[in-house]
Amino acid sequence: MELKIIHFYPDLMSLYGSYANVSVLRRYLEALGNTVTVETVAPGQEADLSQADFLYMGAGTERSQKAALADFIRFGGAVKAAAEAGTAMLFAGTAMELLGKSVTDAGGKVYDGIGLAGFTSVQGKKRFVEDVYGKTDLYPQAVVGFMNKCGIVKGLETPLLTSLSMGYGNDGTGTPEGFHWKNVFASQLTGPILVKNPRLLEVVAAAIYQQRGETLPAERPVDRWAEEGYAITAEQLSLRCQNKSLSVN
Amino acid sequence: MRKFLAIIVCKLGRFVGRLVGKGSSMPGKFALKICPDILARVQLPPHIIAVTGSNGKTSTVEMIAAILRADGKNVVYNEEGSNQIEGVTTLVLTHATLGGKVKADVLLIESDERYAAHSFKFFHPTEFVVTNLYRDQLTRNGHPEWVYDAILPAIHPETELILNADDPLSSCFANGHSSVRWFGLDRCSLSTDAPTGVYHDGAYCPVCRAPMEYDYVHYNHIGAYRCTRCGHAKPATDYTATAVDLENGTLTIDGTVTIQLAFRSIYNVYNILAAYAACRRAGAAPEKIAGVINNYILKNGRMQKFTLGQHHGTLLTSKHENSIAYDTNLRYVASTKADCAVLIIVDAVSRKYFTSETSWLWDIDFDQLNVPQVKKIVLSGRYCNDLAERFSFTAIAPSVWSVQPDIAAAAAALKEDGSEDLYVVTCFSDRDKLLAHVVKEG
Repeated sequence: MELKIIHFYPDLMSLYGSYANVSVLRRYLEALGNTVTVETVAPGQEADLSQADFLYMGAGTERSQKAALADFIRFGGAVKAAAEAGTAMLFAGTAMELLGKSVTDAGGKVYDGIGLAGFTSVQGKKRFVEDVYGKTDLYPQAVVGFMNKCGIVKGLETPLLTSLSMGYGNDGTGTPEGFHWKNVFASQLTGPILVKNPRLLEVVAAAIYQQRGETLPAERPVDRWAEEGYAITAEQLSLRCQNKSLSVN
Repeated sequence: MRKFLAIIVCKLGRFVGRLVGKGSSMPGKFALKICPDILARVQLPPHIIAVTGSNGKTSTVEMIAAILRADGKNVVYNEEGSNQIEGVTTLVLTHATLGGKVKADVLLIESDERYAAHSFKFFHPTEFVVTNLYRDQLTRNGHPEWVYDAILPAIHPETELILNADDPLSSCFANGHSSVRWFGLDRCSLSTDAPTGVYHDGAYCPVCRAPMEYDYVHYNHIGAYRCTRCGHAKPATDYTATAVDLENGTLTIDGTVTIQLAFRSIYNVYNILAAYAACRRAGAAPEKIAGVINNYILKNGRMQKFTLGQHHGTLLTSKHENSIAYDTNLRYVASTKADCAVLIIVDAVSRKYFTSETSWLWDIDFDQLNVPQVKKIVLSGRYCNDLAERFSFTAIAPSVWSVQPDIAAAAAALKEDGSEDLYVVTCFSDRDKLLAHVVKEG
């Protein structure tokens, strides 16, 4: 297949190695025999989302996020239509907050989000910085990552990580994290999340295939380094979870 | 009375602490309990120079101390690196008379960028040097703008700021501030026309978010920037590196002062420039400063020479989680001429526990090692798989790099094989794991 990825604001929204989510997805899709093009969109630039197989925006500082939002708002209708139609997309870090109803900055100023979902985000002066170990309903293995954010997300009904045994979620310690609806994926976990979680990379690729009426082939490429890196991370974080619960008991 | 008691307790605590080998923040902590505003009640020296920033704090502070001491000034500074308010309190009170007068001409403080506002609540620096602000230890710092916002309240209107004209973010501290001195580097043989590196934090103006343009860049996004909308641009410099020749190891400041570089890196140039500017503001003469720096050997041991089997080795200490520190060391390796091997070790991102946070590896421009003289790259340590995943996205041929999780085994294999130069790139936290297997040179 010829697949098209649209990467919004790669320079503006580039914290925590965000670009690598696109790098691993592209390589994975290419290894499956597809031709993949990545179109980048800078503020003010036009883009036709109707032909896209995957939309992506990475993490940015709180100020960059507002600058991105000021531009991204014009794509709001098109993004919602694409989401409704089943287009796969991932919004990482502070980009996730743009999907909601509003984002309130640390000074109390409220910005309208694109309203794809009904949640709201409120940023503060405290930063939540810690490892995260959790579960998703999408597959049995754990999801690993690192949280680095200052926003609290409320009113989110369909999280990506349905439970956390360690770390800060949407609305506090141990609360669910991220957002998942149809083929829309969003998470504030760094890692980058698709690099750190090979299973989630497969799920996202499967969503892209599904939208084209295809399923992922049974024979799939294995990324040895990503798999081994994941295994060590999952084991170590799981051990820390167990130690924590032992010390609580 | 509380002031007197706080000073006594601090001095006693410091004395006992030294006997038992304890750190230097505890006595200050006790003193602050007894008298929370003790730092406002003591009589401080005429010059209080603070240095903060993402990179180069310690080197800059050490150079300033050496220069001003050679200039006949009595300088006290936090040599043990206790750079939060407790450590600063210990430093000040240890050097104070019982009446509260600090016996020094210069109080020099390496200040933690996140805690500067807390440290300078009760007094303020006369000169405040900010070396630079960019991605550094994001697990504790969030991101550079977060650090900027944390430093901002520490800046007193009466403080003279000594700022890096080439850094688009930390230069913003000058906005609305009356007294600012600038240091910077003119276009030189090192300069490129556009920002380098994997990410482009200088792509957009930190003030108004319009795209920025660059006349030249020295590394990453450090150079001559110009916002296309609001006018934020590299200002004219007061203390200027007018020529740099890293190959021959010379730096010329203001067209007249020539300095021999012991360590030929662009970082060192900026650290010297920052120290030069601060010392000039504290009254040292240009020739005096040059004389000290020419004979100055960095004490912090970030460059350690060693032998391993037939290999002549150089340890290049980079801070983990600081992509620019890595980039600078990789650039140094790429600038060498002889065939070499490179060992990269990421074993403990945190000294306390395993953390999954390795996203900073994606901010490092490992492709700089894609040069003919780099014959072999070994990735080692607990996070070697994360490193390998990152390397699998470089243009470096897979036959050049290999993975050995065990550091001792990696060292043993290198020892057995080859005689090319060896560069080891790793962090303070991991370097001893390699140094245990080599023969160090003086």
